[in-house]
Amino acid sequence: MLFFSKWKITLILGALMVGFFFALPNALPSETRKDLPAMFQRTINLGLDLQGGAHMLLEVDLSSALDSELDNQVDSIKDVFREQRIRTEFLRKENGIISGRVRKAEDMAKIIGPLQALAQPVDPRSLSQDKTIAVKQISDRNFQVEITEANLEFIQQQTIDKSIEVLRRRIDPQGTTEMTLAREGKTRILLQIPGAQNVDEIKERINKTANLSFHMVRAESNNEAAMRLAFEKGTVPPGAAFFPEEQGGGLIVERRTKITGECLKNSSEGIKPETNNVAIVNFTFNVRCARLFGELTSKNIGQRFAVVLDELIITAPRINGAITGGSGYIEGSFTLESARELALLLNAGALPAKLEIVEERTVDPSLGADSIRAGKVASMIGLMGVGLFMWLSYGLRFGTIANMALSLNIILIAGALSLLGSTLTLPGIAGIILTIGMAVDANVLIFERIREEAHLGRPPVNAIETGYRRSLAPILDANITTLIAAITLYFVGSGPVRGFAVTLAIGIVMSVFTAVVVARLITATWLRRKRPKSLPI
Amino acid sequence: MKDISLVKILPMEPKVPFINMRVIAAVLSVMAIIASIFLFSTKGLNYGIDFTGGTVIEIDTGAEPDDAKIRTVLTDLGFAGSTIQGIAPPEGSGIDHRLVRIGLQLQDESNEGAQAQQQALTRAVDGLKAEIGDFKIRNQEVVGSAVSGELRRKGMLAVGLALLMVLAYIWFRFEWQFGLGAVIALFHDVILTIGVFSLTQIEFNLSIIAAILTIVGYSLNDTVIVYDRIRENLRKYKKMPLPDVLNLSINDTLSRTILTSLTTLLALLALYILGGAGLRGFSFAMIWGVFVGTYSSIFVASPLLLALKLKRGVNTGNAEAREA
Repeated sequence: MLFFSKWKITLILGALMVGFFFALPNALPSETRKDLPAMFQRTINLGLDLQGGAHMLLEVDLSSALDSELDNQVDSIKDVFREQRIRTEFLRKENGIISGRVRKAEDMAKIIGPLQALAQPVDPRSLSQDKTIAVKQISDRNFQVEITEANLEFIQQQTIDKSIEVLRRRIDPQGTTEMTLAREGKTRILLQIPGAQNVDEIKERINKTANLSFHMVRAESNNEAAMRLAFEKGTVPPGAAFFPEEQGGGLIVERRTKITGECLKNSSEGIKPETNNVAIVNFTFNVRCARLFGELTSKNIGQRFAVVLDELIITAPRINGAITGGSGYIEGSFTLESARELALLLNAGALPAKLEIVEERTVDPSLGADSIRAGKVASMIGLMGVGLFMWLSYGLRFGTIANMALSLNIILIAGALSLLGSTLTLPGIAGIILTIGMAVDANVLIFERIREEAHLGRPPVNAIETGYRRSLAPILDANITTLIAAITLYFVGSGPVRGFAVTLAIGIVMSVFTAVVVARLITATWLRRKRPKSLPI
Repeated sequence: MKDISLVKILPMEPKVPFINMRVIAAVLSVMAIIASIFLFSTKGLNYGIDFTGGTVIEIDTGAEPDDAKIRTVLTDLGFAGSTIQGIAPPEGSGIDHRLVRIGLQLQDESNEGAQAQQQALTRAVDGLKAEIGDFKIRNQEVVGSAVSGELRRKGMLAVGLALLMVLAYIWFRFEWQFGLGAVIALFHDVILTIGVFSLTQIEFNLSIIAAILTIVGYSLNDTVIVYDRIRENLRKYKKMPLPDVLNLSINDTLSRTILTSLTTLLALLALYILGGAGLRGFSFAMIWGVFVGTYSSIFVASPLLLALKLKRGVNTGNAEAREA
């Protein structure tokens, strides 16, 4: 146990050096750190609870994405019936299933084939044969169309990916903020922004779907009876939709439209020409939509179209002439500020689903700084207390060995945390302080065993040798069990608790290494140099 | 070099009759467990918003806050029953007045989910700012009920899973009586910790779950050390009666138990006193855990081996390998 070959010593010292170098940048002022090679720029990553910032968990409302997929399918089914010149008795969607009935049983044979042809591969890029929908004939006149499991999953994935993409553009249009946006579980998105100050503004941007579309206003909007029906019962003529207006009232519009937010190439806030204080949002369509919009406006001169944002009509101007340039502006009750915000949202694109903030934790940097300060003081005092205690208990010689192991342990923890880029949280600090107290345990075990062996009459070298050998198994057993607890905590825990688990686990591994390997090397070196006749403990 | 190793004060071969005290200890432990379960089922735990869901903000009003005024404003806004708690400014922060922690009590919105919670928070903050002037929000936590339910489930799962894994490991390393004994001792520690949190009504949140798992780790550490020595002594003294072997092993490891508990307590005390309000609950739980964990290794885990009728000399395999 006390013999170390050259290469073993080199390995141990090498490991210590690596730990030391990775820990070092943390102790340097940031200006000095900048001149170091990139490898040594890494420092311990502070969690949001320590550096301040916003943590939000967003629930993606996948039902709306599913609903719009169902609507699309209903539209396609209607198209098929139209092409085949077959009439349906009814066609409705409920509980995620579209069911319909044809008038005559002989129509079924004609329609079922084309309906089944609607099923497309879920993901054209993947090799799987999964189809988007499953068409089933239930009786001689009834059929059902269901969205397949694979398609549901695909829609889920797409919705969340798209949401993340849009959020990134909305919250960080310049791409300069350091933030985390990641899928969490099946239906959630985790958003973390270190040092965020404008939390309310960020929340605004999360809450707005920014679904923009242009719809032709239907003639029924002038029909009092139809409007009353729409207002009071929400019933509208087939193919139409009713949206409230921002200034009150509402309009019946064409439900389907090809001019949506996807059409926008660019938008920006501005002031309406020939006025000096009316804020507007300028927009430019892409080429395809510019042509579509040109055709639409030239066919409908004198009619009105409604600009709908998140199911609310912002404005419904009359078409005075064909708009072929592919650009225009939206005039609503904007301030310059809200126009700028809308332009930003439109540029970022619409969210494919509603998002709900189900968890929010925002910490002001000043609170984080207080926590760090308290943590530093507590660990310094704890470290000093434990160090002093070890000296008093084991005397200068063995006390120093234990304390050297303890100091190296702290340095190695700092190095490992920097190297792994793991995040130090407030409970993580607690983990380190706890480790300080528990780290000496391995040394205590060894020293107590040595004392025991010496007491049994073994000469010093033999006692130390036996002490180290016999305490190895209990040390490993004891620490592996704690490690198991830490690992469980990591996998099941979340957020700050995970940070705690990481520091605890690293602390356990490092304390075993420093006590069992490094301290043994120090002891062996001391024995070889001094050859003591008796043990000072 | 003249040394002052105080450790020499500890007797080399202590002979405290721990095992003889097992009846008293058992009575004590069973009573404590019953008391804990009773407290837990009557008083319950003071769950933090991690587990109940809710909204908590910590504000700095820039001067000594007027708690009564804040309460009136919140009640007028429809948040009657909100908790308002002054907290001492953190040391070294340069703040010379108390901060206020507000637990917002929602009325009818409480069933309407996270969106309503967010809106309520905005309403409360805007309303307060209008009445008591601008303030700085140092901490803002909004946890929806879906999330808190999950956190609760996950927390329980973490503790349960950790206990299972540990049982498996000890079973693998020792004999089944050891595994069972260790896990019963751990349940003892966990139940008593929950009992203390019920008694003191200290907020029970996610970091307390972390603390409980650490207590599990710590207590186990202690138990394994004693068990390991029991296994060794069982091989060494084949004729000695089991109670004597247990007692000898506990005494053999006693100095280590005392020293390690003391160093851990030292570090935890520093954390409790100086670590700031955020870690106080955690360090309290841990300090309690050190006492309970040490107690249970000596008075619960070891005597349990007697109760579980540990067999002698059948399979103490690993000890043999170590001696070779």
